Amino acid sequence: MAEVVIPIGPQHPALKEPVNFRVIADGEKIIRLELNLSYTHRGIEKGAESRDFIRVLPLLERVCGICSHSHATAFAKGIEEIMQVKIPPRAQYIRTIIAELERMHSHLLWLGVAAHEIGFNTLFMWTWRDREAVQDTLEEMSGNRVHYNMNEVGGVRCDLSPSQVQTALARLPLLEERIHKYVAMLEEEETMLLRFRGIGNMTRHEALAYGAVGPTARASGVACDARHEDPYLVYAEVPWEVVTDTNGDVYGRTCVRIGELRESAKIVRYCLEHLPEGDIRVPAPKAAPTGEILSRYEAPRGELVHFIRTNGTDKAERLDIRTPTLANWTSVAMCLTGQNLADIPVIVAAIDPCLSCTSRITVLDNNDNTSGMITFDELRKRSRARWQEQERS
Amino acid sequence: MIDPVLLLIYVFVFPGFLFLFVYALTCEFLDRRIAARMQHRVGPPFFQPFADVVKMMGKEVIDPDGVDRRIFDAAPVLALAAVMTSFLYIPVVGASPLAFQGDLVLVLYLLAIPTILLFVLGWLSRNIFSAVGGVRAVTQMFIYEVPFFLALLMPALAAGTWSISAIVVWQQHNWWCMFLQPIGFVVALICLQAKLERTPFDIPEAETEIVAGPWTELTGRRLALMHLARDVSLVCGSALIAALFLGGPMVPWTISPAWLGGIVGFILFLVKTLVVLLILSSIKVATGRIRIDQLNAIGWKYITSAALVQVAIVLVANFWWVSA
Amino acid sequence: MTSPLTRDVVMETMKEFGIVEQVRANRFRITTTPDRLRDAVKTVQESLACERLVTISTADTRQMFELHYHFTGQHRTIVTVTIELPRETPELPTMSDMLLPAGIYERQIHDLFGIVFSGHPGLKKILLNEDWPDNEHPLRKDWKPDEKTFYGGTKQEGR
Repeated sequence: MAEVVIPIGPQHPALKEPVNFRVIADGEKIIRLELNLSYTHRGIEKGAESRDFIRVLPLLERVCGICSHSHATAFAKGIEEIMQVKIPPRAQYIRTIIAELERMHSHLLWLGVAAHEIGFNTLFMWTWRDREAVQDTLEEMSGNRVHYNMNEVGGVRCDLSPSQVQTALARLPLLEERIHKYVAMLEEEETMLLRFRGIGNMTRHEALAYGAVGPTARASGVACDARHEDPYLVYAEVPWEVVTDTNGDVYGRTCVRIGELRESAKIVRYCLEHLPEGDIRVPAPKAAPTGEILSRYEAPRGELVHFIRTNGTDKAERLDIRTPTLANWTSVAMCLTGQNLADIPVIVAAIDPCLSCTSRITVLDNNDNTSGMITFDELRKRSRARWQEQERS
Repeated sequence: MIDPVLLLIYVFVFPGFLFLFVYALTCEFLDRRIAARMQHRVGPPFFQPFADVVKMMGKEVIDPDGVDRRIFDAAPVLALAAVMTSFLYIPVVGASPLAFQGDLVLVLYLLAIPTILLFVLGWLSRNIFSAVGGVRAVTQMFIYEVPFFLALLMPALAAGTWSISAIVVWQQHNWWCMFLQPIGFVVALICLQAKLERTPFDIPEAETEIVAGPWTELTGRRLALMHLARDVSLVCGSALIAALFLGGPMVPWTISPAWLGGIVGFILFLVKTLVVLLILSSIKVATGRIRIDQLNAIGWKYITSAALVQVAIVLVANFWWVSA
Repeated sequence: MTSPLTRDVVMETMKEFGIVEQVRANRFRITTTPDRLRDAVKTVQESLACERLVTISTADTRQMFELHYHFTGQHRTIVTVTIELPRETPELPTMSDMLLPAGIYERQIHDLFGIVFSGHPGLKKILLNEDWPDNEHPLRKDWKPDEKTFYGGTKQEGR
């Protein structure tokens, strides 16, 4: 077959979120890739400039459903550093517990999605069943399965009762046993090995040159982990290890993520067992002094960077978010050339793309200063009301 | 010749088309239920496949711009007709009344027709996903059809006859071919899985890569008939393997009276086809999909070589048997 | 080097390019001019062992646009190279030939701020939808959405 353009997206069964790849292929081999990310752009960076620090945290949580806590924590810890507010140890531990639980649920979700991409639906069903244990824990702790809203500038919103801690600890052994089983499966299951090995290769040098982050880079031997490079929360106290692999292909990335699942379970167990007593928040000033900070956080997909600039008011002057998926797109585009069409879903899924993180846009602006959640229906009502007003005048 | 009325009943009611539809949809239910239980899910209730077919028949038929409507209408009907006809030659309660020397070859050819029609549909869909899927379907056919034919023709070679019913009778007096030709049995099962385009060989219909492949533009009653054709070919394939390797609807001793023999034979037929179905379902659940170039490598390197080894063994055994 | 960079080392290497400040225990900022940017980045990569680009951040201070290039390496210290661009003519030669990931960041910055990166292989829209009018850059401080303009999406009936 001659050179053909195969559109993958914006609607495609392989994609969990809309993105437009135009794949230019020759038969089954890919020549080139073009990318368009505008479909989930919602204007969050601009929106963050008009909300004070209490109201901006729920907005930032909604950058992404799976890594919601990452965005809120990165921003909160950045603002706390500018304000020079030190949050109590119990709050640090609770934030860490939620962060690692989020990492576990995200990696289990990813494992299921990767299995689904290669048609291995059994593993998809099993991992999502195990993920329910993590989701139940998160729901008990925070009240919600996603968008936990645990953070406030100055601490966390709600406390963990001893019974919640016990229930969470009781769920961990089952999860650890299942993770063990997935490790074994990864080493032995023939079809997974056939589809994952040798696909999407990236050497260490390439990973550094393309700016890859997170498990994508760690699978190529680059030991970059924001929890290790720039320790925040309690990662300097808890015993844990950075998981790397030397394979550099999709198989390596799978191994890294399963390894991180194990490490996260260890960290959660440690934090739950050593949860210190005390307050969960300190009063923080309303306005932040003028300053600038680069807040780095290790989200499940990689290194998340919030560049925050404040100007003495209670709103951020500029919030610049660089999500890990944005950093990984270059590596996907480079890895895909020369591969088979059938491997596109696998390679794209291997960076664990979170497109809601990648595109963040704006335009729901109006001149009155109401804040809070605006649903789509409310938007339409407002714009209709404005139109009618204009027609009358 | 037998009574024409009985022949009509055989063809249309039992064990002909009506029984075939009911049994095919029951097999689909069992397949989905077994897969669901293995995946720790509940699975559909018994009437789900029947409801699916009825629902699909009532849905709107959408013609993409510029496609040839007549071929799109005709192809699913042809596919279904081909597999239904092939079932008539497979022994269900004793020998098939339509059997003749060479009906094995006829059945194999009829079972190949749906795949070719799928390619035609994919090519004519004016849709890049369907075209890629159609090309993959015929590529896959090219890979598995050789070992499949070889494996299925070995019982014929051993029995010295080209009629399925006669092979079944031969197995009544000798051992089942599963024990005589185990390699052939395994090869036949693997190739049947590839023929039915089930995981790990569901490459033409890879949902996450090419939407639904050649099935993308099938809607309404076209989709219902093609879906039914796929279910019927599952039954035909299982019944064929049960007949050729597992001895079909016969026990190794004769039962009298004849009507009791018929009932026992029918029950055996059900049991044996369900055993084959169980094996195929387990393979489907336990694996992921492989790529077409990997199937190419595995197919030619291992599966065809195994089939050729089996051919060599059967030829040598025959020669030794005859000369002894 | 895997031990954190010290102030003296960074000052020594980068003092020819501009002002060097240590804004945090593990972060240094060097303010330089746009025409010296390429040399500064090259020096950071070679002499300060910074292996990867973390991100390119932007800010609009109402008088100027600021661009911050953040680098890091095995020494776990971040080195930021900052430049300022005038608002009327925000132009800069692209860095995507030297730093591959800069390609995607520059496309995003172009969409949101309107900074033109000359020599970029494909400065098409990446973040804003295809119906977005061409000269409106939403993250500039002086941008307000105009009710009459169509920014993409669905049109309401009666409009």
